[in-house]
Amino acid sequence: MRAQAVWLTALLVVGGSADAGDFEASATTLSGQPLADAAVVLEPVSGNMPGTSPTVTIAQRDRELIPYVTVVQKGTAIEFPNQDPFKHHLYSFSPAKTFEIKLYAGKPARPVVFDKPGEVALGCNIHDWMEAYVLVVDSAYFAKTDINGWARIADVAPGSYRLRWWHPRQKRELRARAVEIGAEPLRLTQALDVAPHIVKPKPPADKDSY
Amino acid sequence: MLFRSLQHRIVIVFVGLLVLVMALMLALVTRSNSRIVAAEIERELAAGTQVFSLLMEQNRRQLETAATVLSADFAFREAIATRDRPTIRSVIRNHGLRIGAQVMMVIHPDGTLIADTQNRNDPNHTVPFQDLLAAAESAGKSTGYKQMKDGRLYQIVVVPILAPKRIAWAAMGFLVDDHWARDLSGMTGLAVSVIRRDATGVAVLSSSLEEPKRAALPTAIGALATDRSGVLDIGDEHYQTVYVPLGKEISVALQRSVEQAKAPFQTLQTALWTIVLAGVVVFFFGSVMLARRIVRPVNELAGAARRIEAGDYAEPVPRLTSDEIGQLATSFDLMRERVANREQKILKLAYEDSLTGLPNRTRFIEEFSSLPETSRSAVMVMNLDRFAPINSALGHPVGDRLLTEIGSRLRSFQSATTLVGRFWGDEFVFLLREADREAASRFAESLIVALRKPFTLDGHRLDVDATLGVALYPDDGRDAVTLHRRAELAMYAAKRQRSGIAFAAEAGAEPLPEQLSLIWEMREARSRGEFLLYYQPKLDLASGQITEVEALIRWQHPQRGLVSPAAFIPFAEKTGFIRELTPWVIETVVAQLAQWRKAGIELVPAVNLSALDLMNPKLIVHIRRLIGQYGLAAKALCVEITESALMEDPELALAHLNELAALGLKLAIDDYGVGRASLAYLQTLPVHELKIDGSFIRAVAETPKNAAIVRSTIVLCHALGLSVVGEGAETADDLAWLSTNGCDVAQGYSIAKPMPAEKLPDWLARFGKRAWKQA
Repeated sequence: MRAQAVWLTALLVVGGSADAGDFEASATTLSGQPLADAAVVLEPVSGNMPGTSPTVTIAQRDRELIPYVTVVQKGTAIEFPNQDPFKHHLYSFSPAKTFEIKLYAGKPARPVVFDKPGEVALGCNIHDWMEAYVLVVDSAYFAKTDINGWARIADVAPGSYRLRWWHPRQKRELRARAVEIGAEPLRLTQALDVAPHIVKPKPPADKDSY
Repeated sequence: MLFRSLQHRIVIVFVGLLVLVMALMLALVTRSNSRIVAAEIERELAAGTQVFSLLMEQNRRQLETAATVLSADFAFREAIATRDRPTIRSVIRNHGLRIGAQVMMVIHPDGTLIADTQNRNDPNHTVPFQDLLAAAESAGKSTGYKQMKDGRLYQIVVVPILAPKRIAWAAMGFLVDDHWARDLSGMTGLAVSVIRRDATGVAVLSSSLEEPKRAALPTAIGALATDRSGVLDIGDEHYQTVYVPLGKEISVALQRSVEQAKAPFQTLQTALWTIVLAGVVVFFFGSVMLARRIVRPVNELAGAARRIEAGDYAEPVPRLTSDEIGQLATSFDLMRERVANREQKILKLAYEDSLTGLPNRTRFIEEFSSLPETSRSAVMVMNLDRFAPINSALGHPVGDRLLTEIGSRLRSFQSATTLVGRFWGDEFVFLLREADREAASRFAESLIVALRKPFTLDGHRLDVDATLGVALYPDDGRDAVTLHRRAELAMYAAKRQRSGIAFAAEAGAEPLPEQLSLIWEMREARSRGEFLLYYQPKLDLASGQITEVEALIRWQHPQRGLVSPAAFIPFAEKTGFIRELTPWVIETVVAQLAQWRKAGIELVPAVNLSALDLMNPKLIVHIRRLIGQYGLAAKALCVEITESALMEDPELALAHLNELAALGLKLAIDDYGVGRASLAYLQTLPVHELKIDGSFIRAVAETPKNAAIVRSTIVLCHALGLSVVGEGAETADDLAWLSTNGCDVAQGYSIAKPMPAEKLPDWLARFGKRAWKQA
C-alpha cells in the first residue's frame, strides 16, 4: 500500500502546474473510520478534459489483482501482466468495458483500452476471490484515498468542477457536488456509505511438499 | 336356578377364577404394551425429528452449494451479464435443469425481477421474498420456503451472481411436493406433511400420506389452534404428531401412526388373547368334565336316594370311586340294605300274623282290593271247634303252639289263587281267587280232611274240628269287610246248626239297610255315651232284703227317646256289636259297684253275657283285669248267661264258664225253661243260680201247670245246690206264691221296674221302710 501511495504521489507531482491549486479530501465510513480506495474525481463543469494518460498496469501477483482500485482517464490502456507461475482468466462483464483475457500467462500481447467512462469490475474466472475495480473517468483530476482515507489532487486548474466520489462497495452513488478550485488549496471530508469489505475465501498457496 | 346345580357352580367358580387371572394378566400386558408403544412412539418421533432436521439442513446446504456453484459458472454469469432477457431466460432454464430446480429467477440487486423460468411473471416487479434477499445480503446466501402464486410450495435458495461484484441474485426454487415428503418420510420413518396454518385454516401443501388420510389431515390439525405436539385422529388411525416450523405460517407435521407402532404388540396381544381364550375354553371343558366326575356320583347317589324314597330297595347303590363320595356310597348302600331289612320286618309285622307267619287281616284286605272287579272269588272263615277248652285246659302256650301247627299245615294250601290268613284267635281266613260255590266246597272239604289228622303236642293227642263259613264275591258282598263279616256270620250259623260249613247266602240275608245304619248308629251312640244302664232290683225272699240288681242296657236316643233293648240287642248280638258293648257294660257296672260300696250300699250287680261274649276269650281277660283293678271280692259280680248262649258251643262255653267261676264270679243261667238245656246238663256247669223265665212265673198262682213246673224246678235246683230266681214277678200274688214255694229270689215289676243308678239309693231307702210282707 505504501508503495502504491508513493507511486500515486509521483504521478500527481509529474502532472502539476505552477498556478494550479491543490485539492485534498479525506473519506470516511459513516461511522467515521478512514476509508481507503475511495476515488475522488473533479470534473470540469465546461469543456472536455484534454490530454492522454500513460498505460497503467494491474498486475496479477500471488493470486491477487493489484491494485484493488485503479482510476484512469477515459482512453487509458491497462496492461494485465500475470506474474504468477500459473494462468489466470481475466474478465469483466461491466458495461463500461466488457472484455475477457482467457487463460494466459505472462504479459498479454495487447493492453486493454478503457474508452468509456464508468465502473469496471474485474475478476478471474478461475480464482473467485480475485477482484479489482477500474473507474474510468472523463477527467484528468482524480485520486484515490490512501489507507488513512486521504487523497490529494495537485495542480488543479482553477475553475468550477463537479466533485464526484466513488467506492467499489458504495451502497449508492453520491450526487456530484460543485466545487470551485482556486489558488487556495481545498480540503474537505466526505463520509461514504460503503458495505464492509467481505474477504472472499482464498485457499492457501500450493506447497511443494505435499 | 341355573346356579343351583353343583356342577354349574364348580364350573363357574373355576372358569371365573381363570378368567379373572387372565383378565388381570391381559390388563397388565396391555397396559405395559401401551406404555412401551407410547415410549417407542416418542423415541421414534424424536429420532425422526432429528433425522428430519439433519436432512433438511443437509438438503439446504447441498442446494445452496449447488446453487453457489451454479451461479459461479462463468458461462452462466456471462449470459446474465448480457442483460438480454431471452438469453437469460434460456440460460436459467438450462441451468435450472442442471441443478434440478423447478423455478429459477434472476433478480436485480434492487429486488426486482430480471427474468424467470416461468415466463409468466412480469419482469421488473418486486419478487415476493425480499426477506430472503435481505438474508442473503447479510449472509451471502439464504434459503426459505415460499408458497408461490401457483399455490405450490418451494424451497427457495437465493445466491448472488458475482462478476466478481454481485451483479444479480439467482433464486432457485425446489418444489416441496408429495415426492419430497415421501422421500423424507422414507428416511425418517415418519409421515411427513407440510402444512400452512393461517387465519383461514389449515391447508396441506404436501404430504407423504395417502388419500383419504391426507384429506382428513387439515381437519385433524385444525382442531388445535397451534402447532402443539399431540395425538391426532386421522381416519381410523391415530398419529402422534410433532411440528417443525419451516417458515411463516408453514410448518412440517411429523407423524407416527400409533396403530403401526402398536402392530407388533397387537400381534403379541392377539397371540395372547388366542392363548387366553383357548385356555379358558380348555379350562371350561376341563372343569365341566371335572365337575361331571364330581357331580355324577352325587347324582347317582341322589338317584339311588330317590329310588329308596320311592320304596325300591332292590337296586344296589352303584359302586363308585374310592374317594369320599365312594365311601359315602358304600355307607349309603349299607343303609339301603338295613332300611330294606327293617322295612321287610315292618312289612312282615304289618302284613303277617306274628304267631303263624300267615298273612293278617290288613294283608287280606289289600289282597282282596287288588283283585280284578270282574273276577269271582270266595272268602272263607274257619273257626276251630272246642279251641277254648284246649286253651283253658292246657294253657295258652299250648294253644298258641296248636295254632302255629295248624297254621303250618294250612300253609300248604297257600297258592297263587289261594291266600291263607289268620285274623285273630282261632279264626283262619281264606281268599279263593276265581272260585265259585263248588270250588269253595271242594276247598272246604280238603281243609276238613287236612285237619282230620290229629295234632300231637307234648304227648297230648289233639283232635281238631273246624267250622267254616263262606261268602262269595260278588253275590254276598262287594268289599272285603262285608264278605268277611258275612262269612263269619255264616260260620256262626254253621256252628249253631253244627253243620260244619255254611254259605252266607243260606245263613241269612245281609242285614237290611236300616239295620246297617243301626250298626253305625250304635257305634255313634256308644261314642256319644247314649247307652245307659238301668238296674232292676232282685228281692231276697227269705230275708226280704234287696241283695242283687240286674244291669239292663237302655239307649237314650236323641230323636227316638228311650229305645227298648229288644229293639237293638238281638241285632247287636247278630252283628257282633255286642262284643263291643258288653265290655263297656261290665266296666260301667263294676265302676258303679265301687261307687255303691263307697256309699255303703251292698249290692251284687248282674251282667248279661251273650253267646258271642261267652265265646270271646278277650272278655275274660278284660274281666280279670277289672277284678284286679277294683279289688272285687268273690261273688261280688254276677254273670247271667242264657241257655241258648251255652248251646252255641257247649265245650267253649264250659271252658269259659270255668274260667269265670275261677275268677270268683257268680254265674247264673238266664231265661231257664225256654231253651233245650236239661237240668242234667246244667248241673255239670259251674253255675250257682238258675233264673226261671218270666213266662213261667207270670200268673203262676193261677196256672197250675206252670206252678208245678216252677215248684219242681225249685225243688230240683235246691237239690242240686242251685239257688233259684223267679223272673217277671209282676204281681204281689206272683211274689207271694214264689215266697211260699221256696223260691230264693224274685225279680219283677211287683218289686221294682229297672231304674237309673242315681235313683236306686232313694228307692232302696223307701223299700227298706216298707214291709213287703204286707202283701
